[in-house]
Amino acid sequence: MSAPRPRASLPQSARLLFATATGARLGGERTLVLWLHFLLPPALAGLVVAATFASLPLAALLAMAALIMAACSARALIRRLSETEDARSSLNAQLIQSQKLAAIGELSAGIAHEINNPLAIIAQETEWASHLLSEAEKSNEADFAEVRDSLREIRSQVDRCKNITHKLLDFARKREPVLQDVDVARLVDDMARLVDKEASYKNVSLTRKLPEDLPTLRTDAPLLRQVVLNLMTNALQAVDRGGAITVTAEADDDSLTIHVADNGPGIAPENMDKIFNPFFTTKPPGQGTGLGLSLCHNLVSGMHGQISVASQPGQGATFTVRLPRKLGGGQA
Amino acid sequence: MEIRILLVDDEADFVETMAKRFRIRKITVAPAYSGVEALKLMDEQDFDVVILDVRMPGMDGLEVLRQIRLKRPLTEVIMLTGHASLDAGMQGMNLGAYDYVLKPADFDELLDKVRRAAERKALNVRAQAKG
Repeated sequence: MSAPRPRASLPQSARLLFATATGARLGGERTLVLWLHFLLPPALAGLVVAATFASLPLAALLAMAALIMAACSARALIRRLSETEDARSSLNAQLIQSQKLAAIGELSAGIAHEINNPLAIIAQETEWASHLLSEAEKSNEADFAEVRDSLREIRSQVDRCKNITHKLLDFARKREPVLQDVDVARLVDDMARLVDKEASYKNVSLTRKLPEDLPTLRTDAPLLRQVVLNLMTNALQAVDRGGAITVTAEADDDSLTIHVADNGPGIAPENMDKIFNPFFTTKPPGQGTGLGLSLCHNLVSGMHGQISVASQPGQGATFTVRLPRKLGGGQA
Repeated sequence: MEIRILLVDDEADFVETMAKRFRIRKITVAPAYSGVEALKLMDEQDFDVVILDVRMPGMDGLEVLRQIRLKRPLTEVIMLTGHASLDAGMQGMNLGAYDYVLKPADFDELLDKVRRAAERKALNVRAQAKG
């Protein structure tokens, strides 16, 4: 074993002091290099100032050295920065991939859970029915009423599964929107009136700022109602007592935009990418399916629009739905 | 355009008065006083728009809506509610109701919504005929 290199072997107490003073978690060697980067140029600069009073050529020499030092350390820092940047973006890509996988995982867990219960009942009823049939064989006396009951139960559980798969298909299917001229200001106000009472229970203000000259929009009215209602409900669930929700709308030549803003706790940065994923929820179990926002996302895409969210933790969140005023390809 | 409405509410007075008001505007109205009755009528006839009360004894409006969506997916449903329950509103809209109206509803407003719902149904029927 070679002896430790002298560079790395800073006196133990000094390293401790370093670590305490800087909170540095880097290895001793790296810390030293880093500190050299920072400390040497100013130290040299100090010497230059001191030398200026003694001898100008010496000062110039020192200044040159300081500049070279600074250039070297800048280069090293830039290299290190770009290395970290590369590592970060590759990590990001991995993270997105793993979040997608997590979303699929959560989705399948949700489906599995929903379908497992009826399957268990079906299995039990089948066993019971076959038990009844074998009893009937033995005694030559059949209790068909009970067998029929079991069959009926199986049938109803199959229907239950069918409902679940239909719901999922609904979720996945892109339904063609039915286009009508929609008075968006009135639509938003109608849906807000549904939320008003619940909001007043919670002492939450629900403010509409809808310009009177907001143009009508050719879009699918019930789908848009669903989106607006879901977003307002979501905002209401996000704010505490005394919170505030503001719904605004505006239009330009190309699009009509609706914002639903709340002053709740906002969205944690690590959740921003997942907020529209199906089954993603930050609410306690049983208090939200995690389908509301992903449904909104699907519906808005179906209407050829975009939905986005902006949030600073602690300062609330604003959901923005932007819908095109002229759909490509004319009449759908 | 001729519009056929099914009006479902357990309050008979409310149904009768409203039916009259629609009829003087040349809109055909069938009354039903419970969810079961409404579903039975829907088996027999095709309606363009159903105006459906949410809170009814027996089968409630949301359950009726669910069955209507299966039975007659093209028929549009306007939910009518006296108590603004947000939860029921969300469920109703997510089950595919056309609109949700708070009682007491302004009649002209309701009429306008009925016309728009009927227009949507006609558009859907036309789209389906095209394939």
